Amino acid sequence: MADKVPLLLSLAVAIFALGLLGVVVRRNVLVMLMCMELMLNGVNLSLVTFAHQTGTAVGAVLVFLIFVVAAAEIAIAIPIVLLLVRSKRTLDLDAYTDLKG
Amino acid sequence: MHHLLTLIVLLPLAGFLLNGLAGPRLGKRFVTAVGCGLPILAFLATVQCVLTLNAAGDPLVERVYTWARIGESTFDVAFYFDRLTAVMTLIVTGVGSLIHVYSVGYMKEDKGYARYFAYLNLFLFFMLLLVLGRSLLVLFVGWEGVGLASYLLIGFWFEDAEKARAGKKAFIVNRIGDAGFLVGMFVLYSTLGTLDMDRINAAFMASPMPAVSASLVGILLFIGATGKSAQIPLYVWLPDAMAGPTPVSALIHAATMVTAGVYMIARLSGIYVHAPEASQVIAVVGVLTAFFAATIAIAQTDIKRVLAYSTISQLGFMFVALGVGAYGVAIFHLYTHAFFKACLFLGSGSVIHALSGEQDIRKMGGLAKKIPVTFVTFAVATAAIAGLPPLAGYFSKDEILWFAFASERGGSPLLWGLAAGTALLTAFYMFRLLWLTFFGRSRMTPEVEHHIHESPFSMTSVLVVLAVFSAIGGFFSIPHFLEPLLPMPEAKQELHHLETPLVVVSVVLALLGLAAAAFFFGRDAERANRLRPRFAGLQKLLYDKYYIDELYDRLITRPLYWISDRVFLRIGDRALLDGTLNGLAGLAQRTAGALGRVQTGNLHLYALFVLLGSLACLLLVWRHV
Amino acid sequence: MTGTIDTLLQNLDTLLLYVLAAGALVGAILMLVLRQPMRVATALIATMVCLGGIYGLLGVHLIAVFQVLIYVGAVMVFMVYAIMLLDARDPSVRSRFSGLLVPGIVAFALFLGALVYGLWQSVPAAASGPHAGLTLKAFAAAFLSEYWLHFELTSVLLVAAVVAALAVIKVHRTDHGG
Repeated sequence: MADKVPLLLSLAVAIFALGLLGVVVRRNVLVMLMCMELMLNGVNLSLVTFAHQTGTAVGAVLVFLIFVVAAAEIAIAIPIVLLLVRSKRTLDLDAYTDLKG
Repeated sequence: MHHLLTLIVLLPLAGFLLNGLAGPRLGKRFVTAVGCGLPILAFLATVQCVLTLNAAGDPLVERVYTWARIGESTFDVAFYFDRLTAVMTLIVTGVGSLIHVYSVGYMKEDKGYARYFAYLNLFLFFMLLLVLGRSLLVLFVGWEGVGLASYLLIGFWFEDAEKARAGKKAFIVNRIGDAGFLVGMFVLYSTLGTLDMDRINAAFMASPMPAVSASLVGILLFIGATGKSAQIPLYVWLPDAMAGPTPVSALIHAATMVTAGVYMIARLSGIYVHAPEASQVIAVVGVLTAFFAATIAIAQTDIKRVLAYSTISQLGFMFVALGVGAYGVAIFHLYTHAFFKACLFLGSGSVIHALSGEQDIRKMGGLAKKIPVTFVTFAVATAAIAGLPPLAGYFSKDEILWFAFASERGGSPLLWGLAAGTALLTAFYMFRLLWLTFFGRSRMTPEVEHHIHESPFSMTSVLVVLAVFSAIGGFFSIPHFLEPLLPMPEAKQELHHLETPLVVVSVVLALLGLAAAAFFFGRDAERANRLRPRFAGLQKLLYDKYYIDELYDRLITRPLYWISDRVFLRIGDRALLDGTLNGLAGLAQRTAGALGRVQTGNLHLYALFVLLGSLACLLLVWRHV
Repeated sequence: MTGTIDTLLQNLDTLLLYVLAAGALVGAILMLVLRQPMRVATALIATMVCLGGIYGLLGVHLIAVFQVLIYVGAVMVFMVYAIMLLDARDPSVRSRFSGLLVPGIVAFALFLGALVYGLWQSVPAAASGPHAGLTLKAFAAAFLSEYWLHFELTSVLLVAAVVAALAVIKVHRTDHGG
């Protein structure tokens, strides 16, 4: 398993990049949120790989903290999205341009 | 006792502050007491100083404080009292006090009474700084200060735009002269390292001479003197300065301020003794100014204007004396001139006061019996200025004429000729003034005639005092008094025998002037009026002062306005400065506007920027890997 | 015999790793391509489960469990609720992609390329032989000794989240004038 580290890291990088791409290209707000979760997962994978590689507990601890943060984040992000959608009446992100200028 | 000189200077300053700040609230009595009392105290202090000087023999020096220390040089405020200063200070405080007393009566009705006395005391303060200062720097402070006081007093009735403009003209023209003065000071300081006048004189009298052209310095300082003492080409402010109250004209523009230039040159005689070219220039400018102003005075019809041009002319005489090395004689003439000119001005003030403001001599006449005291004092002063013996003017003018003819240091028959011609003209126009004002039938309007009254005691008493001094002042020989300080120049050996004949000639000229004036202007100017049409062109030229003011306006003032407007205002200020500032602001605005278009509000775009940004960071970091 | 079983098991591990990795990757790509949000959610769940499996293979079983419990069981369920609440007949479903599709893909390619390139340039050193995975005991001990501050801070974070949720509810209530 130790020699698979480069592969795993590449996978992590790929997942992260795909998540970021998803944020750029998808229109649906909820899909964008899910792509952000994907990014977090990519990071998690890289951390776990490092934990495995070095044998310390640091990586695992950090992953655990990221779980907590992700949970809290989604708990708040979804209601915000709900409220926004209620006022804008659409899930299309191109409608949310109030911060222009 | 040790700080008497400082006291002399500070007393009028205290008067200025008291009257200026609290005067209006404290009433006329207070203002009068302070405004007149303090100058009189200063006069008494001066007398005490003179006695001390006589006893001590050496000049009194008082160092007040160190003004500035720049690098290794120190600039002190110090006062210096020798015989020359004694004469000047006595004149300034003495005649000054008299004029203050006169003003009590003259300005009684004026609502700016307190302000007037405050300014007058301020003037006295600066004038005393000027004459008592040890270094050119202190003198210059006084020089500028009297210019300021003059501006304030000429434009005293500032609600009248003309009068305000006259004040402005005086100040600005003076400043032009001051530029020369300043450059002269710079040259002196850079070569000698000191501005103390006694040290400057000592440096020039010692050998080897300092490595600077004495004539250069002399001429530069003289340029300042032409401004302050109204010589060609900077005399144009003095006739306009008559817009101020008459006592101001008497004090500032006759007795004291305008003589500052004469004093300055006499004080720095050490330089001028070694500057024959500069002295020549001074003498020539002086005599030309004297003659020129006298010709204009013949045709003037305002009583104060005649006296103004007369002052310019007499100052020219003083400069002639300075130019030929007779410094003590110049101061002598300054001294006698102070008396008779102040008397004449105050007398004219009395006339104007009596006639409820009339100043045109064509509208006067027959006043001799109506205002006798004014008439008698005016007549005495007129005789003095004309040079009739044994009045004061005769002595001083005579000495000047003699040295103009015979001095080793620049005397010439040509100089004498012009000066003598001026003396003739002086007698002529002064007696013309006397005749037209006081003799003949009255040419006044009935209501003015109805209100004629002699002036109050505060005014007439001063006139009498001044007239007395105009009469007997000449017997105290100032040149002799100043001899140890300002030695008289040698007269050319071969011309010694002409001394007495010349005296006779000058007396004859004075009498000739008197006679001519009586001839033409007696009997209501009958003969003058008959001859007028024939000389109309000449008369107009003289009346309009040779159009010099108009010339200056064309040549200097208007081009300056044009440059000011076109170049400095439109191009420099509006286009360049404002344009740059506004341009920068506009640039910032436009840049912000352009950059602001990045914020589209589109979240996808922001995310893309994040992506690109991190990519850029990665590449940046990995360049070194 | 044991040698062959070991090699067989090792090969099995490696095979499983490849399979799970492929699964995760495919799930991620599908996420970007599918139209319906519900299907996207499903793809994400698949990716997450595959990742959980990979964690297990790497020996951090605890984290694998947490991955499934928290990420799939809480986060994704919440996500699915939200999707069900919101309208499916939305314009963003018909046109999936924003205007920045092309620039996005280009940037993505560059980004990925740069990262992978950098990664392969500095291949990390081989670990010191096989070792045991992370036990719950070791994990708990670490949290309570070395990382206790981080632990406490997470509780602060959760409190903040609760407060935020309450605030959101309040806003929601005022919207309805209640």
